[in-house]
Amino acid sequence: MNNKLRNSLLIIITAVALFLRLWQIGVVPPSPDWDEASLGYNAYSILKTGRDEYGKLLPVVLRSFDDYKPALYAYFIIPFIPVFGLDIVSVRLPSVIFGVLAVVAVYFFVKELFGKKEIEFAGNLIKTEYLALLSSFLLAISPWHIQFSRIGFEACSGFAFNLFAFLFFLKGLKKEKYMVLSFFLGALNIHLYQSEKVFTPLMFIALILIFRNEFIKLSKKFIIISIFTATIVVLPMVFFILTNQGALMRAKGVVSFSDQTEFLKRNAQKIIQDRNNNNYLGLFSDNRRIEYAKSVISGYISHFDINWLFITGDISRHHAPNMGLLYLFEVSFILIGIYQAIFGKFSSKAKLALFAYFLIVPVPASVTSGVPHAVRTINFLAVFPLFSALGFMTSIFFIRKIYRTKLLYKHAVGILYATLFLLFIVNFFYFLDQYFVQQNYYNSADWQYGYKDTISFVTPIMKNYNTLVVSNQAPLDQSYIFFLFYLRYDPLDYQKNGGTVSGGFKEDHKGFLNFTFKPIDFSSKNPDRKILYVGRPQDYPGNKKLLRTIYFLNGEEAIKIFEG
Amino acid sequence: MSYIFRYDIIKNAYMEKSKILLILIFLIAFFLRFWQLESNPPSLTWDEAAWGYNAYSLGIDGKDEFGNFLPFTYLESFGDYKPPFYAYLTILPVKIFGLNEFSTRFASAFFGTLTVLLTYFLTIELFGANLKVKRKHVEYLAALSSFMLAISPWHILLSRAAFEANVASFFIVLGVYLFLLSTKKYKIIFPLSIVSFILSTYTFNTARVVAPIFLLCLLIIKRKNISMMKKEVILSMVIGLVLVLPLAMFVITPQAKLRFNEVNIFSDLNTVETSNQEIKNDNNASWSKIIHNRRFLYSILYLRHYFDNLNPLFLFIKGDGNPKFSIQDVGEMYIWEIPFFVTGLLLLFRKKEGNWWIIPLWLIIGIIPAGVARETPHALRIETTLPTFQIITAYGLYNFLVFTKYRISKIKYPILAITALIITLNLLYFLNNYFFHYPREFSGEWQYGYKDAVNYIKEKQNNYGQVFFTNSLGRPYIYLLYYLRFDPEKFRQNALIRREVYGFVHVDGFEKYRFLDNLGEDTVNVIGKRVMYIDRPEKIPGNAKILKEFYLLDGEKILVAYTK
Repeated sequence: MNNKLRNSLLIIITAVALFLRLWQIGVVPPSPDWDEASLGYNAYSILKTGRDEYGKLLPVVLRSFDDYKPALYAYFIIPFIPVFGLDIVSVRLPSVIFGVLAVVAVYFFVKELFGKKEIEFAGNLIKTEYLALLSSFLLAISPWHIQFSRIGFEACSGFAFNLFAFLFFLKGLKKEKYMVLSFFLGALNIHLYQSEKVFTPLMFIALILIFRNEFIKLSKKFIIISIFTATIVVLPMVFFILTNQGALMRAKGVVSFSDQTEFLKRNAQKIIQDRNNNNYLGLFSDNRRIEYAKSVISGYISHFDINWLFITGDISRHHAPNMGLLYLFEVSFILIGIYQAIFGKFSSKAKLALFAYFLIVPVPASVTSGVPHAVRTINFLAVFPLFSALGFMTSIFFIRKIYRTKLLYKHAVGILYATLFLLFIVNFFYFLDQYFVQQNYYNSADWQYGYKDTISFVTPIMKNYNTLVVSNQAPLDQSYIFFLFYLRYDPLDYQKNGGTVSGGFKEDHKGFLNFTFKPIDFSSKNPDRKILYVGRPQDYPGNKKLLRTIYFLNGEEAIKIFEG
Repeated sequence: MSYIFRYDIIKNAYMEKSKILLILIFLIAFFLRFWQLESNPPSLTWDEAAWGYNAYSLGIDGKDEFGNFLPFTYLESFGDYKPPFYAYLTILPVKIFGLNEFSTRFASAFFGTLTVLLTYFLTIELFGANLKVKRKHVEYLAALSSFMLAISPWHILLSRAAFEANVASFFIVLGVYLFLLSTKKYKIIFPLSIVSFILSTYTFNTARVVAPIFLLCLLIIKRKNISMMKKEVILSMVIGLVLVLPLAMFVITPQAKLRFNEVNIFSDLNTVETSNQEIKNDNNASWSKIIHNRRFLYSILYLRHYFDNLNPLFLFIKGDGNPKFSIQDVGEMYIWEIPFFVTGLLLLFRKKEGNWWIIPLWLIIGIIPAGVARETPHALRIETTLPTFQIITAYGLYNFLVFTKYRISKIKYPILAITALIITLNLLYFLNNYFFHYPREFSGEWQYGYKDAVNYIKEKQNNYGQVFFTNSLGRPYIYLLYYLRFDPEKFRQNALIRREVYGFVHVDGFEKYRFLDNLGEDTVNVIGKRVMYIDRPEKIPGNAKILKEFYLLDGEKILVAYTK
């Protein structure tokens, strides 16, 4: 393939990627969820005052809802706020940009990984160029990748950083200055997303071990600079974790066996029975550490479920409704691709690196609850498009081969190709429809839809009331952040009045202006105060004056606004 | 050419060794299936009791419990139209050992043990054909496969209760084994293979789908061998037709469909609703009617249920959600099998040794019928895939052992020791949980309590003119028949039988026993007789005189005998 054609194909792929990620950005999904709102407002706050909602100067970590988000993504949002304002579009754009960059990066990654121009798979020579382009295209249209590069979730950028770090590591083995870049990006990733704190170091350890001979041959100067850079970049995070006890709370909150009593309920019963019966084998085998180990392995292998990948996905914010994370038509190609990648004839080090990466991906998620988890394992997206492309190309070769041996007639081959193409088209359009049309209908509640309309209704009338009580009970928990976000409330003012005090999920939030965020109840009556309530449908008692009901996009009631 | 029939040319000493190995595996299998067979699982389920009593009844006068003479295509039982063969197989054990738990479960445990033995010979036939390694190795592989089945949690659990599926699996394995033998040399065996496949269809429902499809595939792929034995094929067709015809006639009747409709996914209306809603969301566009076609959605639903059976958590961590088929602590396979299963599967395709293709084909076909059912994954309905899973693991393990022996022989012994240790520990973990904790924890799942209650009735019934028994634990009548060893002819004469439109059969009473949903209200009109009531503890009226209480093995009160 000549360079001109290759370049234009790459540009087309990038354009497709960009279009699929930008079209209706901010409208689909229909509203920011609380994490997006929080990242947005904190970015706004840092831009205006240099401090986050808690008044922390240039934070490394955002305390947010006590989930201690790494802060880097919020800094990425900052440049867009002067252009688009504090808006959902500003929050989502960094994700879009890193998403598109990842699509381009996959092309270079595949080429770099295989090294040679042609690779032999099952007796067929396959051009790396085609493989790289196809992988890049498959990432551009990947439902999984589109899902997360259109929303302000840090994970998608984290994935791009890993991909670049991997790519520059491979390049760095030949040209040393890239190694510095690789280490820098890898270290930066620690500040981007929680899972990367586990994944990225493991990836680097694996890469250094696999390429140890090449790595040692690099000039000492560059190795030292690389490690030095990485250390400097990581240091603030290490410092933060060592000085803040709360920082580990998030980790504790998501670990699957953090709820000891429930997790070990059956186990405890068994141990009692073992003791009563002097069952020594039992006392040995019912050790709770075995249960922990089992739970980790269980979390790990739960990510190799065909249904999760291709048909169901996990929670609704993580995939388009009624479909999985990858296209169903890919299922056989990915299986064939994995097989070919294992037995294909290319450098065994590249092979090891590829599979080390593939097998490390589920590690951070394996200790957490809520597995399988599409966000914590988004790093899979460096390898699935490659497997799929590989599987597709070897299948085509296989069909051609049996055609040449006259086992299949020309028309049969034509029909086979047409069927494949049709399957792809139907599956692709199905995804586009599920994503751009059906998602808002089915999942608006999951995207915490309704605040925007609520706030634009409340804003003009809020000065007529002494107090505005906004519920903070599920599903309206952390409602304060949406009010800060949509009112673009001045962060300086907010911090002067104390800012956010606690991110605790169950606590009342003292609020700002005349807003209070707490569960709605009418027990403490103060007749001379005029109160506006913003609550869940079940908070509305019926005997108060209902001003407005806000609906989800499927017509169900979301929020009720009433006075009394 | 099969090696098992060429022992004469193999050295005597070596023959001894492999024979001893096989005997050892057989003894392990036998022990794990027959030890405490009568007390673990702790009691009989309805279906087991029904098998036992029907066998008892058939053994007396050749009629089933309801008086049908030598039922050929089905047992009516609870209206679930059981394939009858298991009952016939149980006649002899009941005659020999009496009507009890051991004799009822005997056929399953016996054929389960035979399946382990048969797996050895099957594996030799599968891989012996054009072997690339030494002859001795095939026997090791066969021994490993057989051993894997002997210790398989999946197969042990299903062999230890009267599950007719377990016997059907035996006939499928036998069918495949005889088929392979006949295509090699012993043509005359061919009709026996066909008969064996047909017997499986008279034993378990899913075999009615699996056996014909599987046999058809085998015939097509081995058509060259088949075409060389015209006589045998014609003979088989005659025998086959005669045997299949009655079943075929039954399968097209409405009764046969009742059971199917009850469990299948295509009666699920949500799919239709989703389809309609999504088309509506697209403003009824015609392209939307294509991509949201309900047949299309049903196909995806089917695939979802199909792939459910390959869920890694089902296979390796928790097993079937129904505690009757899995102890919940160990998967359908052991956790240590994961790496060997994966490598075994990959190498099977890579090395293409012997009749390797039968294994994936078998596995894929074996799951087909289970995919249409609502409850998936389902260890029992896919039992016909056994022993493919075990052979795959064994193949991986075998290749691992070969690798350690020849490639890394320096550290051979430590590696072998660690592997053996892990396997043993996992086995002990399973055995401890299964024999020590399982009966206590899950006795309720096995309808524990009925036996004690019926034995109490038996002891005291002469003092009472009437016994009222609650229906709330389900189908009490069969337990009374079973544990009273009630004369079937007497039962047929005075049973109160009610047949529902949907095929379910209810027995409301016989002789002085009455089975009611609500004892408190339905039994007020009994005059002049002393009445014993057996009911759930929470339903005991205030004026009751408690006679005896019956407990599950974990101490929960399950039934109470009382009088007024």
